[in-house]
Amino acid sequence: MFIADIRKEFYEVVANQRVALLVAADIDALCACKILQALFHCDQVQYTLVPVTGWQDLGTAFLEHKEQFRYFVLINCGANVDLLEMLQPDDDSIFFICDTHRPVDVVNVYNDTQIKLLIKQDDDLGVPTYDDIFRDEDDEEGGDSGNESDEGSEPSGKRRRFDEGAVERRIERQRAKREWEARRREILFDYEQYEYHGTSAAMMFFELAWVLTKDTKDMLWWAVIGLTDQWVHDKITHMKYVTDIATMQRHVSRHNHRNEDEENSLSIDCMRISFEYDLRLTLYQHWSLYESICNSCYTSCHFKLWTLNGQKKLQEFLADMGLPLKQVRQKFNSMDMSIKENLREVIEESSNKYGMKDIRIQTFGVHFGFKNRFLASDMVHATAALLESTEKDESDSDNFIKALDSLSRSNLDRLHSGIDQAKKKLIAVQQTVASCICTNLILSQGPFLYCYLMEGTPDVKLFSKPMALTLLCKYLLKAFVHSTRNKRCKLLPLIMAAPKDVEKGTVIVVGIPPESETSDKKNFFGRAFEKAAESTSSRTLHDHFDTSSK
Amino acid sequence: MDPSEVEFLAEKEMVKIIPNFSLDKVYLIGGDLGPFNPGLPVDVPVWLALNLKQRQKCRIVPPAWMDVEKLEEMRDLERKEDMFTPVPSPYYMELTKLLLNYASDNIPKADEIRTLVKDIWDTRVAKLRLSADSFISQMEAHAKLDNLTLMEINTIRAFLLDSLNCMYKLRSNMQPGSSKGQLTDY
Repeated sequence: MFIADIRKEFYEVVANQRVALLVAADIDALCACKILQALFHCDQVQYTLVPVTGWQDLGTAFLEHKEQFRYFVLINCGANVDLLEMLQPDDDSIFFICDTHRPVDVVNVYNDTQIKLLIKQDDDLGVPTYDDIFRDEDDEEGGDSGNESDEGSEPSGKRRRFDEGAVERRIERQRAKREWEARRREILFDYEQYEYHGTSAAMMFFELAWVLTKDTKDMLWWAVIGLTDQWVHDKITHMKYVTDIATMQRHVSRHNHRNEDEENSLSIDCMRISFEYDLRLTLYQHWSLYESICNSCYTSCHFKLWTLNGQKKLQEFLADMGLPLKQVRQKFNSMDMSIKENLREVIEESSNKYGMKDIRIQTFGVHFGFKNRFLASDMVHATAALLESTEKDESDSDNFIKALDSLSRSNLDRLHSGIDQAKKKLIAVQQTVASCICTNLILSQGPFLYCYLMEGTPDVKLFSKPMALTLLCKYLLKAFVHSTRNKRCKLLPLIMAAPKDVEKGTVIVVGIPPESETSDKKNFFGRAFEKAAESTSSRTLHDHFDTSSK
Repeated sequence: MDPSEVEFLAEKEMVKIIPNFSLDKVYLIGGDLGPFNPGLPVDVPVWLALNLKQRQKCRIVPPAWMDVEKLEEMRDLERKEDMFTPVPSPYYMELTKLLLNYASDNIPKADEIRTLVKDIWDTRVAKLRLSADSFISQMEAHAKLDNLTLMEINTIRAFLLDSLNCMYKLRSNMQPGSSKGQLTDY
């Protein structure tokens, strides 16, 4: 059931109770969790935070906590599957689900008592109407018994005619039922075949905070990070990103006007969020400009930096902008001020000449204190690297807690270590992409492209996690599309497999839709993987919330 | 005494807040508080003000003395005078630190206020050090210091007492036999 008034039907219900928060392992969920935790701290609500990484985790966590808690809040998990059937809860457990995975399972939508969806109803959901899918069985029975009782009261002469009439009606009803069921199957198949993402969960919770007038700049910043995570990991279309950025921009201006005017300027330590039309180079302010250009997907694919020609083009590009190599290779903060001043405009002009039209993207930046300036995408990469770090002796929940901590303003050293790990991850991704393309590891298997990372590949441990592997997959497809001359191959989707656990010999598989400018980011691999697993009867574990990875 | 104890005592000072919730009068052992009505200023102790601020239930109004011009005047006066001038509040240092840490978005020109209060503190502590130094070296019998706050006294207390004890031990050991007679000189 969709919730209409999030304050009355969700917050005021849980404010006096103990709540269990089950949070999935992606950045949007982390940000939403932070916002909700801050709200709970204000009102001193008792809660238990449980990170979950997949359906099995969710089941175990639920079993552990179902005796003690009546109210469960699920963040970024649980909407796209029949939750009641999977978890078998008691009748008085109530689930509040705030999930970006679509399509929302129809049972979750139409259940009025136990499942409450914290999702806006106009969020282009396209849920089939109730009558198309569910149908009461009583109507038919009533019709039949009514006819039979009619038969009894009629004189016997007409009985045969009525019998025939009743039989015909029954046949008619059965045919109508079969037709209805066929239509139902078709509707459900259309509804559930593609998987995509809706509005960010962090933004939903920020709106809750705004309705409660408890929104702070910290919460606004977390909402921005949640939205940027959806864009960085390619989960939403560009149109939706721009629309959501406009919404966030309204909130940012509201906060900026509230606190600052001519005479009473804010302390330098206060957080200031500003709208930036900044470059698409990942982490460029914390790295050198040269490294950032080499390791950002957009620039590296356009220049084809894995070829010698590409390297030459890059040198030309830098020379065209008039940036000396020595400056460009040193840390961004130590570059000359005269170069940094007009950097964005200069880069935009030159990149237009080289065919990169959208080198600049609308985003937000934060700055507090004298030293600390971060863009939203920097924070997403840093937190993602911490969340999926593959150090030994670190369990998933440790990583989750570390990533959650790095989002607070007071844990800057953790954030900086996250940025360093993100740099290593990006370099590894680029090197793997370069080696895959140069050694032609991408094979065309008919309707799709396929690539398998061998066990001995350097840094393959990093790619045993779903988000990192998906990132690699997208970069690889983009690079492949830019480098191949085969027109047909450019429109094919890509499936990628990497070893997940060397001892157990398991492999993680990810599929992404074909690369196109106007893609609507709908992914059909969920169903496809399930069917493939059935038909080959291989041992698969459909564990991740994102059904496009297994 | 620990500086944190002094800060704890400072939290009993009253400060004005503007709450955004409503609550009837609260009867506590230390006194009565409230009633709280949204948008109407009310006086509460600093500990409650900070707690409410962190839960985003109020807005803190900076005390009257926490103003750039007033603090500039006090700083200039302090620098001119040899003696200690009257302080804006007996707990000015602690209040500044607490309010600027937790509620700096409610206080205009917070950075300048921080600098000015630090200047006033530095001047006073410098005077205190000079005074303690002359007290010990000239072996004076008593000293009168007006307008000192608890925090400043606390800063110098350990050092002054220890050094006076040391001096006493040294002098009483210099004349071992007739210690009683010598005491009256000091």
